[in-house]
Formats: sequence, structure tokens, C-alpha cells
Amino acid sequence: MTLLQVSNLSVDFFTTRQIVHAVRDVSLAVAAGERVGLVGESGSGKTTTALALMRMLKPPGRIVAGSARIGDLDLVGLKGPAIRAARLKTISYIPQGAMNSLSPVLRVREQMLDGLADHGIRLSAREAKARVDDALAGVGLAASVADLFPHQLSGGMKQRVCIAIAMMLDPKIIIADEPTSALDVISQRQVIQTLHMAQKRIGCGMVIIGHDMGLMAQATDRIIVMKDGRIVEDAPTRRLFAAPQHAYSAELIESVPTLGSRPSRPSGERPAAGAPFLELTGVSKTFGGGLLGGDSKQALAPIDLRIDAERPRVIAVVGQSGSGKTTLARIMLGLEPPSEGQFRYRGQDVSQLSVPERARFRREVQAIFQDPYASFNPFYRVDHALLMPLLHLGAAGSRTEAREAMEAACRDVGLNPREVLGRFPHELSGGQRQRLMIARALALKPRLIVADEPVSMVDASLRMTILNNLRALRQEHAISVVYITHDLATAYQVSDEVIVLYDGRLVEAGAPERVIEKPQHAYTRALVSAIPWPDPDRNWPLVEPDRASWNQPAVVQPGATCLG
Amino acid sequence: MTTARVETRGSQQAQRGPAWLGETLGYLRRNPSMIVGGLLLLTLVLFTGLGRLIVDTNAASPLSAPPAQPPGPDVPLGSDPQGRDILSVMILGTWLTVRTGLVAGALGVAVGSAIGLYAGYVGGRRDKAITWVVDVLLTVPAILLLVMIAAVVQTELTSLGMALIIAALAWRRPARQVRSQMLVIRNAGYIEMARLSGLGPLRIIFGEIVPNLLPFLISSFVTAVSAAILAGVGLEAMGLGPQNEPTLGMTIFWIMELSAFLRGMWWWIVPPLAILVVLFVGLYLVNAGLDELANPRLRRRA
Repeated sequence: MTLLQVSNLSVDFFTTRQIVHAVRDVSLAVAAGERVGLVGESGSGKTTTALALMRMLKPPGRIVAGSARIGDLDLVGLKGPAIRAARLKTISYIPQGAMNSLSPVLRVREQMLDGLADHGIRLSAREAKARVDDALAGVGLAASVADLFPHQLSGGMKQRVCIAIAMMLDPKIIIADEPTSALDVISQRQVIQTLHMAQKRIGCGMVIIGHDMGLMAQATDRIIVMKDGRIVEDAPTRRLFAAPQHAYSAELIESVPTLGSRPSRPSGERPAAGAPFLELTGVSKTFGGGLLGGDSKQALAPIDLRIDAERPRVIAVVGQSGSGKTTLARIMLGLEPPSEGQFRYRGQDVSQLSVPERARFRREVQAIFQDPYASFNPFYRVDHALLMPLLHLGAAGSRTEAREAMEAACRDVGLNPREVLGRFPHELSGGQRQRLMIARALALKPRLIVADEPVSMVDASLRMTILNNLRALRQEHAISVVYITHDLATAYQVSDEVIVLYDGRLVEAGAPERVIEKPQHAYTRALVSAIPWPDPDRNWPLVEPDRASWNQPAVVQPGATCLG
Repeated sequence: MTTARVETRGSQQAQRGPAWLGETLGYLRRNPSMIVGGLLLLTLVLFTGLGRLIVDTNAASPLSAPPAQPPGPDVPLGSDPQGRDILSVMILGTWLTVRTGLVAGALGVAVGSAIGLYAGYVGGRRDKAITWVVDVLLTVPAILLLVMIAAVVQTELTSLGMALIIAALAWRRPARQVRSQMLVIRNAGYIEMARLSGLGPLRIIFGEIVPNLLPFLISSFVTAVSAAILAGVGLEAMGLGPQNEPTLGMTIFWIMELSAFLRGMWWWIVPPLAILVVLFVGLYLVNAGLDELANPRLRRRA
């Protein structure tokens, strides 16, 4: 039975310079109890479609054609108060980044009852309490959560509160826009399972918007792939993964790493001689504290690590936000001094390097950051970012030499120097910017590159290209890479070694075949079982994680970079 | 946000080509108040600039014209009871008043930015100390301090001295604002990248951060200039200005002192008021037009 029938929907943005056709001629149907995934990269029109259905498009956006029917109701034709009446009751929306959609000054209970009051439902205090308790139970939260403020909840809990709010009036259709972005894999799985449970309970149709094909495989019955505002494929999930019809769908599916598909790599490793390239001995970091610093927080517990330049490897450092992985990266880059312990570069304490030695350290240890847009100064053309280190760190003798090195590095990462150089950062795509950042590091001929979440802000279809660039660093240029990520699937795919951090502590370290295929530590097991692999047939049960067991001692395999 | 990306992508296509001229024209088209304000200020500049070439500004001193004359062939805008030629007073006074504003505004923004940049960049205890001092000073009413300082040094005061007195307080707001802008930019990825590229603190501040603050500094400067002119005129109207220079504020002081209203000397009252109105409206409009440039949230990209 078709619940939602969208026909030939088109949305245009009438900007001052031109008309942008954000959504073109989109037709889709959602049946009761069905979960439909809407997939595409940023700018493909998936959120715009959802906002158009909710009648929440902001000017200059406007629906220019089409209809969207739920039963007898045409959402596109609604006017004024009728739109508000339809929202939440007929169709409801869980916005992107729902964790920021809760008002910080109201208790959860008040925010949940807001929608009821707006739809003219008057309840006695007792009835209201029962209703809120029910709704919270429906998303697996305790009734006591109703009396808390949003800042007292974790990200996953806030997301579940938003789901509960969206379901308060048993809508016929729920649209969830990237419901798990910014959540770690364990909370991500809980949220998706919660959505499923709640949907089963009220029997509505559901549209899940996302870009992660792995997650979609586990979460949906049918997937609609969008590109440039058009639907390019609409197929049952199982069939889409088995035999994608459109080239773009195939590209999206291929970009997701799968278990067991790791390319084999050479294992010929020479033993290291002399002082190691980088050595961390009992390095830890504590923020705050002291006389005026307030509460102190240990971001990184003492850790030992040793990287040899003669033995280039890709080392993935995995952990959720707050696990200390970024702190570790900043210490290795010399941006943050360790609170305790010693950080040595070629046998010398990094804090005591002389000026020329420091320049050499900077040349040999470089970085790629998470946000490729923020990494470029918007005031300058992109050349500035690439030339700066070459000139200031003494890697190039003259400007011409620097320019040649820059162009060679661009070609090394598969960019045409004539196409990308001389542009302003906003003129380039996220993928191009991130590859330029790799080129920037590469031009210095470093021995180690620390890449902090280099693909998390890049469209899914470009991720593999960039990760392959990183792999090429090791294979073709003998550069070690420390790949910081929360994404175990890509860590598994690109690394020679995985280090798992939890709450600032080392949890497990070793080869990815061991750590990810046969995890020993309880935390790693929880992480690995929560990875959404692109396998629609996989059983992905909801298990409430047993957090207490995560405190067991670290498991370190012999031969690991990390020494426990 | 998906929709926003679509819009910027569209505009990126259009932005290629000879960027600066097209962008400036587009900016003016979106912010017509800038054009009106600019024209008003240009009128004043021409008035005082050309006027000084054509009219003898020595006639702005007392006893250089027959006293208290209405406009006539000898004195085009009339004269005041002490025998100053009003036209000369206006030409010279506009220049003196605007110069006071420019000097005080420039000094205030320069000193304030330097303090703000320093505090924002070093952070930590030094930042806390500087911010604390600025915050305390910000609560002190400026006019109170200005009256005290001006009253002490009054006898030998020139209009440039006035500018220095006003500048002594004009740095507070820019310092606070530049510091907070600095805190935002300091954490940007490209600053970390610059550190990793071996740049020292000075190069980072002036090469990487200041260029991005320029729109903000320009707007800050216009605000500081109009605030300085206002403070200057206010002090002078109270009689605390340079006694021997015919600034606009001193003219207003003499108008009140010598009962121009009672004597119906409209030719003496109207010109300084008209010039001040044109000056402030012009500065306000220019600043309103700069708002989009200085405030990234208002920047319309599409």
C-alpha cells in the first residue's frame, strides 16, 4: 500500500545570479512499514527534497512543479496553518544534526509535549506523563530522561529524543536526515535500531537520508540514488548491492570498503637500526588543572610508540570522539607539548631542537587535517598554502624550484597543476582541496604524514581516491602515514597496523587482520560489530554495549608500533 | 547544508573572470547606501578641499570681517559677532574637525588592533590580564574622562591635541573586537597549517590573520572616526576645545555663548549644523554599507 506518492517534484533556487535546479522531476513512493534510503553526495538534492516535502524550504528555494500525496492530502498544495497541522501529525522530520535541534533551556519533557500542544491536544498532567514515558520507552530511553536538559544527554540519547519527538503523534511518514552523522559507530547502531523499533511500533513509512552506503545496506529496504537533483536509480537494497544498474550507484557501492577484501601487501621489513625516527616514551596529555585552570582532564594516558623511517607503514589510530586520537596526532606534530613523558625525533627531545633541526623536523613530519576548506587561507590563492612550507622550511632553494616541486606534487596526487593552481580555495571541490593538502605535504618529501580524519568531510565517491593517494605515499614515496579516524572500515582497508584508543587509553594494537577480523579486547569487539558493512543480508542485532568490560587491560600484538 | 552548497556552486561559476572590479560593482549594487554615503562625504571633501584653494581661510580668525553681518556681497555666508567670515570658518572648520576624527580614529584602531592582536594571539594569562583592563576601562564613561583631561590641558590645546585626548580612549573597543575576531581565526585550520609550514608568529599574524581581518578593520575604522568626531564636537561644544581654532564644535560653542538664537543669526547657526548632519549621515551610510563586508554572517554569496 503506497503511503507517500511524490510525482515529478521540482525545486528551484532563484538566486540573484541564476536559477539553480536543486531537485528535478523527482518521483518516488513509500509504502507503509517500508524504509527507503535516499542516497547521494552533498548537493545532490536529497535534503532539499525532504525539506520540500515538509514545506520547510527557505527562500530563494521554491517548489516549481509536482505533487506529493499522502492519502488525499497534497503536501505541495497546502497553505498556511494547514501546513503546520500536517507536520508531525502526517509527516515528520528528524533534522540533520538533531543533537543541536533541542532547545538548551527546556527540559526534554516540555520539548516533547510542545508538538502536542500545538496540535490542540490538551492532556492532564498524568496523561502527559504517561504519553512522554511511553514515547521515551519506544526509543529505549528511561522515563527519568524526561526531566533532564539536553546538555545532560549524550549525542546518541539526544538523537533518540528527537526520534521520540518525531513519533509523538504517530505520523504516517517520517523523514530522518542523516540521523547518525556525528555519532560514533556504537551509538550509530543504537540509533538505527531505535528507528527500526519505533517504526515497527507505529507502522509508518520511513525515508532515511544519508551518504554512507554501508549504513544504508543495514538500515533500508529500498534505496533511491540521487545525483545532481535527479533520481538515477531506485531499487530494492539487496538488488542494488547485487547488481547496480547506474554507473553512479556502482561507484558509490565500490567506494565502501568490505571485510576480507583487503589488498595484500608486501611484508618484507628490514629491522630498524639506530635511533628511531619518532619515539614517544610514556607520553601523556592533561588539559586544565593547576591553580586557575579548573578541573583537569586526562586526554591521553601514558603511551609508548615508535616509528621507524626505514620501515614505512600506514598506522591507523582509531577511536571515537574524545578518545585522545587527535591529541596524540597534535603531540606527534609538535603542535602540543606532552604533559609528561618524552617525545624524541631522531633521538633528540623535540622541545629542545635547534632552529635548523626544528625546520628539518617540520619538513619530515607533516600533516593533513580534517577540514580541507579550513586548511586554506581564504585570502590567498591555493598556491600560497603549497609554496609557504617549501620556502620557509628550506625545502626549495628558489621560487622557481618551489614552483616546480609544487607542480610535481600536484601531478603525484593525480591533479592537473594547470587546473587547480592559481585558484582560490572556494573555487575547488572538497576532494580537490584535500588532494592539494596531500600534495602540499608530499612536496616537502616528508618521512611521516599525520592525517587527521582526512576523508570525513569529503563526499563518499571521492573517499577512495584520497585514501588511495595516502596508500601511494607509503608504496611509492616510502612515507609513513598515521591515519587518524573513527571509521574502522577504511582503517581496515588502508592500514598496515591499527591502534585502537578508548577514553584516552590504548586498547588494542596490531595488524588489521588481527585487530579487526579477530578482535581480542571487549571494546574493539563492540566497535567492530557495529561497523555497517555494505551487506544487506548481515544480521545486525541491537546489543546494549557492556561498557564496564571496556576497561580491561590493553591487548598489544608483538611487532606493533605501539608498545603498550 | 545541501541547499547552500548548490547555491555556492552556482555562484562559483559566475565569479570567475576579472574578479575585483565585478565584485566591487556587485557589492555597490547590493549596498546602495554605500554610494549615497560616499557621495555625501565626497561633497564635504570637495567643499573643504577646493574651498581652501579659492577662499582665504585667514578670514576665519576674529576681527577679519565686519561683525555680525548677514550674508552679503563681501561676506557670502555672513559673519559672526567676533568678526569671523562664516564661509572661511566652515571651510577650515570642516577640515579641522574631520582631521581630528581621522587622527583619533586611526590611532585608536591602530593601538587597539595591536593590543587585540597581541592578546588574542598569545592567549593565556597575558590575554586574561589585558582583557580585564580593557573591560574595566570600557565601563568608564568616556565623556567623564575626556572632560577631565580636556579641562586640565585646556589652555594650550590645539585640534591635534584634541585628537590625542580622544584617541586615549578610542582604542578600547577595537582592542576588544579585534581580540575576539582573533580568537575565531586563531583556531582555523590554515593557521595550524602555517605553523606547520615553519612561519613565525609575526608572519602568521600579519601574513595570515590580518588580511582576513581587513574588512573588519576598515569598518572598525569608519566607526572609530565617527565616534571620535562626535566626542570632539561634544567636548568643544562644552567649551573644552581649542580656543584659537575655528573647528565646527567651537563654532557651536560660540553660537551658544554669544546667544545667536536670541539674536536671530540664522546664517551663523545653519551651516555648521548642516555640515555635521551631512558628515554623520555620510559616515553612517558608508558604515552600514560596509556591514556586509565586515560581518561574514551578512555576506550574501548567491
